[in-house]
Amino acid sequence: MAEAPPIEVRGLTKRYGSTVAVDDLTFSVPACRITGFLGPNGAGKTTTLRAVLGLVRPTAGEARVAGEPYRRLLDPLRRVGAVLEADSFHPARSGRNHLRVLALAGGIPLMRVDDVLAEVELTGAARRKVGGYSLGMRQRLSVAGALLGLPDLLVLDEPANGLDPEGIRWLRHFLRSFSAGGGTVFISSHVLAEVAQLADEVVIIHRGRLVAQEPLEALIARAAGGTVARSPEAERLQALLAEAGLEATVISSGELRVAAPPERVGEIAATAGLVLHELRTEGATLEEVFLGLISEGPS
Amino acid sequence: MIRLVRAELAKLSTTRLFLWLGLLIVALSGFVTTITILSTDESSLATLSQQRSIAQFAAVGAVIALIVGIVQASGEYTHGTIAHTFLVSPVRPRVVAAKLIAGAIVGVLVAGFAELVTWTIAAAWISGRSVPFLLDSRSILETYVGILGAGALAAVLGVGLGALLRRQTAAIVLALIWLLVGEPVLSIAGIQEYAPGHAIAAVAVAGGRSSELLGLWSGLLVALAYGVAFAAAGAVAIERSDVS
Repeated sequence: MAEAPPIEVRGLTKRYGSTVAVDDLTFSVPACRITGFLGPNGAGKTTTLRAVLGLVRPTAGEARVAGEPYRRLLDPLRRVGAVLEADSFHPARSGRNHLRVLALAGGIPLMRVDDVLAEVELTGAARRKVGGYSLGMRQRLSVAGALLGLPDLLVLDEPANGLDPEGIRWLRHFLRSFSAGGGTVFISSHVLAEVAQLADEVVIIHRGRLVAQEPLEALIARAAGGTVARSPEAERLQALLAEAGLEATVISSGELRVAAPPERVGEIAATAGLVLHELRTEGATLEEVFLGLISEGPS
Repeated sequence: MIRLVRAELAKLSTTRLFLWLGLLIVALSGFVTTITILSTDESSLATLSQQRSIAQFAAVGAVIALIVGIVQASGEYTHGTIAHTFLVSPVRPRVVAAKLIAGAIVGVLVAGFAELVTWTIAAAWISGRSVPFLLDSRSILETYVGILGAGALAAVLGVGLGALLRRQTAAIVLALIWLLVGEPVLSIAGIQEYAPGHAIAAVAVAGGRSSELLGLWSGLLVALAYGVAFAAAGAVAIERSDVS
């Protein structure tokens, strides 16, 4: 039997009164990769993640972690590390004591507490009250808690929110090395750019429904777009391009769209002594593709 | 389960909660004990029954234990740390059970501290008067045991109430209104015996008889019934609620 994917969501639906937060959502997160979980604010990302983590009860459908509902995991801290959105702590408890409480409850040796504090570079502030921590320090404390049980799956909900550029760089570096060590990462964000530099794969949702799940390269390929050439001899250009193995479509009279970089189109035209009036790339940015996918709505 | 109970105890001991509640016990017990001893003439102060009623001031510890129980169950919702708790231990009834056990342990400790404070303050004032010190007499021993039991019961009730409401301030205010207004109103109607506060008080005054209270064993039974009912209702409420 094949090993269950680290996270599997099937037909997940969550209603709050008449509001549908997540609507028949199905996807799975592949092992040993970084998967970005994208969607605008209010798309249902947090609800989905909380259902995966057993904090929210699905109205219908299910979410499994390593083949089991989270609530049935025997030692969840050793399987999954979770960094929740706007994570909360008791303001009067020190960072170290916060972690010690988690370690005690999770049956994890207390020595691990100092290890993870060092790992997130928080040793210096460990005995200070969390109430005095900056947002970045809280986020690191949250990551430290997620690492206590040496899990091979990390789930992070909008971890970059409110972090300064240095904090974001730290987080990115950290997640890359976690993934390089064979770990699986599932990270949500409403900003594609945050995830684009990190993720191997993206799951995009909108209004609680799945819009796309594909490798990041596929998304980038969508963004690559093509070249638009305007020429008084558009038909001849189309034939020349066809000879070169490039398919060109007529978008209006005298205008062609080619799935090739402008340099290539320009060279072909020049070799044939063909007049071009305009040559431009029709590139959508990654963000535009993302927004385009969302505005198209769920497939 | 033992590790969950240890974690619950650690949650209580790693904030300033005990410091403030300890101060509250010293202030309340100190004030009432002092006023009472100074305003009682020596002939009645010398009686065992009067000194027993002074020992009973330590029952303020049970009220504080009630607050500790409420904080134990609802504080995590107020501060949002309940998500961490359920991530580590997703089987929620186990968490509630751990909170009940830890609450009972702390309830006994808090009541014991209140006894120590009351005893010390009473000893200090009584030694200054020409009356015998009877707080260490054997017949008051059952009062001390009763107050420890009342502390445990009150804390369990607090955990149940806190779990049911999951709002710390609301739960504490509601509990105090009930004790200061609700039960006195029932007293006027003469049906206070079976109210939770009076049932726990019946346990606290174990040795002393009072026409307003049930006897020790029926009081204990009623208080336990309230504890079980609140704990069960709280556990169901927590199980059903989403953490978001």
